[in-house]
Amino acid sequence: MEPEVIQAELVLPNHLSFKKIQMYEKYPKGQSRGRHWKHLKQIIQAENFQNYPPDESNYVNIESPPSMHPCKKICDITGYEAPYSDPRTNLRYASAEVFKTIRSLPNEYVQRYLAQRNAAVVLK
Amino acid sequence: MRTDKFGRSGLVRTEPAGLNRWAGETDPRVIFRNIVQRPRHKTTGETVTIVGDHDPALLKYFDCTRSGPRSAFDSNVVFQFEIMEYILDFGFDRLGADGSQAGQIDHPILITECVCNPVHSRSKMAELLFETYGVPSVVPCLFHVVLKMHLFRAYGVDAAFSYKYNQQRGICDKDGLAICPGFTTTHVIPFIDGEPVYNGCCRTNIGGFHVTDYLKQILSLKYPHHMARFTWEKVEDLKMEHCYITPDYGSEARLFQKATKEAEEKTRCWQLPWVPPPIEALPSEEEIARKAAIKERQGQRLREMAEAKRSSRINELENELHGLEFLLKQLEQVEAEDIPSFLSETGYVSKLEIESAVVKVTQSLRKAKGEPKGEQADIEEKTDPASTEKFPLINVPDNILTAEQLKEKRRQLFLKTTSEGRQRAKQKRQEEELERERRNQEDEIKRLENPELYLEQLQAKYKELSEKVEQRKRLKTNGGHTNGNNVSGGVGRGERLNAAQRERMRLLTTAAFDRGKGEDTFGARDEDWQLYKLMSKDNDDDDDGPDEDEAELGRISSRLQEVDPTFVPKSEAGTSQPTEVPRLRPLTKEDFQIVLGVERFRCPEILFRPNWIGIDQAGLDEMAGVSIRRLPSKNQELEERLTSSIFMTGGSCLFPGISERLEAGIRMIRPCGSPIRVVKALDPILDAWRGASAYAASPHFLTQTFSKMDYYEKGEDWLRRYQFQYTI
Repeated sequence: MEPEVIQAELVLPNHLSFKKIQMYEKYPKGQSRGRHWKHLKQIIQAENFQNYPPDESNYVNIESPPSMHPCKKICDITGYEAPYSDPRTNLRYASAEVFKTIRSLPNEYVQRYLAQRNAAVVLK
Repeated sequence: MRTDKFGRSGLVRTEPAGLNRWAGETDPRVIFRNIVQRPRHKTTGETVTIVGDHDPALLKYFDCTRSGPRSAFDSNVVFQFEIMEYILDFGFDRLGADGSQAGQIDHPILITECVCNPVHSRSKMAELLFETYGVPSVVPCLFHVVLKMHLFRAYGVDAAFSYKYNQQRGICDKDGLAICPGFTTTHVIPFIDGEPVYNGCCRTNIGGFHVTDYLKQILSLKYPHHMARFTWEKVEDLKMEHCYITPDYGSEARLFQKATKEAEEKTRCWQLPWVPPPIEALPSEEEIARKAAIKERQGQRLREMAEAKRSSRINELENELHGLEFLLKQLEQVEAEDIPSFLSETGYVSKLEIESAVVKVTQSLRKAKGEPKGEQADIEEKTDPASTEKFPLINVPDNILTAEQLKEKRRQLFLKTTSEGRQRAKQKRQEEELERERRNQEDEIKRLENPELYLEQLQAKYKELSEKVEQRKRLKTNGGHTNGNNVSGGVGRGERLNAAQRERMRLLTTAAFDRGKGEDTFGARDEDWQLYKLMSKDNDDDDDGPDEDEAELGRISSRLQEVDPTFVPKSEAGTSQPTEVPRLRPLTKEDFQIVLGVERFRCPEILFRPNWIGIDQAGLDEMAGVSIRRLPSKNQELEERLTSSIFMTGGSCLFPGISERLEAGIRMIRPCGSPIRVVKALDPILDAWRGASAYAASPHFLTQTFSKMDYYEKGEDWLRRYQFQYTI
């Protein structure tokens, strides 16, 4: 290893004396471990929140409800207020100039703009 | 030295973007981003672990292509405990846990977690800390701490510590709302009597991560050429430096839309490194002269070569002609019955053939000598009346001809029809020319009468015609899809073909389907076979001869050119020009500028309007209302107490203008006249740590911790219900 890397103490040492079980003991080299962790979605599913009284707060029920305010529509390209929307691309736009640009956009870019507000077509 | 500092220390874990640090003092010892990279060392090939941010220059020794930086968090919950272990390793290591007596960290640990952390994450973390980092009964303690303790743990909520810390310093009251926009989530937690009320909490899954990501996406869509410049770190810097929150998004955006002076002042520009391209010096006079001379010389040489070739060809042809004439002369002397034997030597079959060869040679000779073509045409014309003589066999009935003569007759017939066709076409051309001439003359008379009106009319006509022709062309190429500039927009199968092609497709498909139906009678009638003609590909070009409109357009444009010197005919390239121009333009300084205008306040605005990025949840201001609504006891006095002490902490509340905006937003959802006071934490990022640190140092802390024994004996349900008391 290069001296400057060692000097910067960049790399976490393999053996740490304050640990009871070292990393290399827990996960021996060359053994495929597979996936030993759960995503948040799986964790939540396993918690079985539905079995607990609904007035007891948990990770899921503290989420905020959808907004009650009307959603202000903004131009996907410029960020100005958008009174119009293009029926072909579904993009919102603020003025005729922006309309011209969105009509000249390749489909890939249209989808990327839509993806910003989670409105893109997702093929599964 | 460390003893007093670490008297009762706690390791504080914070939000995903947060910092990992030891506690007990006023400022943390170690601050690092809790991300882990596991790159491969390039020379030795071993996989190493790197925690936190380091000098990017040193990373050149590592191959980081296989794995990027990883986080132990999914949203705000720890889910990958292997990565968490690396982070803890690094934290303890950097705090100086040298471990002269192996196998233990003999300290209670204070670790923070998100609101309502799932018990799975909680227990895994407890397990990790108990099992990997130490056991209660080991004697010597690390860090020269005299106290021998079992490993204790306590959980605290980040925001709560920040709240407590600021409460002690008189920033906020014991009743209040804590609003904490973090890295991936934003929480609102009501505090009553200094304790968080979990029933009133609410969480929206939006935070600084989303703001940075949104800015990154917008910029890379706006400047696709500079996409590589927008690294996460750079965009994060841009966000922290330039983003702000407006009191009213609509009016601010209108300022920019109208391009007012204020907007210009608010626009920030990031100039990317750009070197002006070397200006090409115009070639000097001599250079131009030299080049012209070279060109001239080359042209001369070519001309000479062409001349030489021509003369040699003339020579050749003359020789041939002489030979043929000589042959003809000889033929005259030969007896009629000897002709075939005589000719067999020369390669010709009959006298007629020789004569035609003579004609051919003379013609090409004339051509080579460069005599005008008209003359030749005249000759052709002159020969025309004699066509009956030229084709003697045509009028002879078939039955008296031999097989060979029949063949000859057929050939002559063909030649005659073609020459007649040519004749007709020529006549038509002449007529057209005359017609054009006549119309031009008419036009000229009109023009002389009233030049201006005439010009106007002509131009109007030109415009109309050119539009018509254009439209036709478009129809032809685009099959009725007149809105042609969107090449990609949902163009269906039918739209891509023109009418003729569509018809052909229809015929093919019906033909294909008819095959299977009962008795196949195809071909019984003669009309059936017409189908193939219609299907054939050659049928595609439905050009019905030269377009009349086009011809007229050509005439008018040439006429306009004569009359109006400023007139420039619309070329076909005209339509595609605007797209090609920017490509040819040399790159300027402006092409390397990243302009931040609306983006400055558009990106952090998503904290208040999460549905702009597709998260259908309430924004910061509404969350306060939601949180108050969720409180179990409806008490107006309490609600007023809460709103008069709204407290903000967390990294994303550093945006300028957020307090004012939040206050205005909450005022909108609260009853008229309710007291509203919004305060920001003294230090929104580190106050949580300071609060935790102070708490860990108090004697009350030890009564709150639980040990490994508790953990294993009392079970998961107890751990789930376990709640920390914040009041000291």
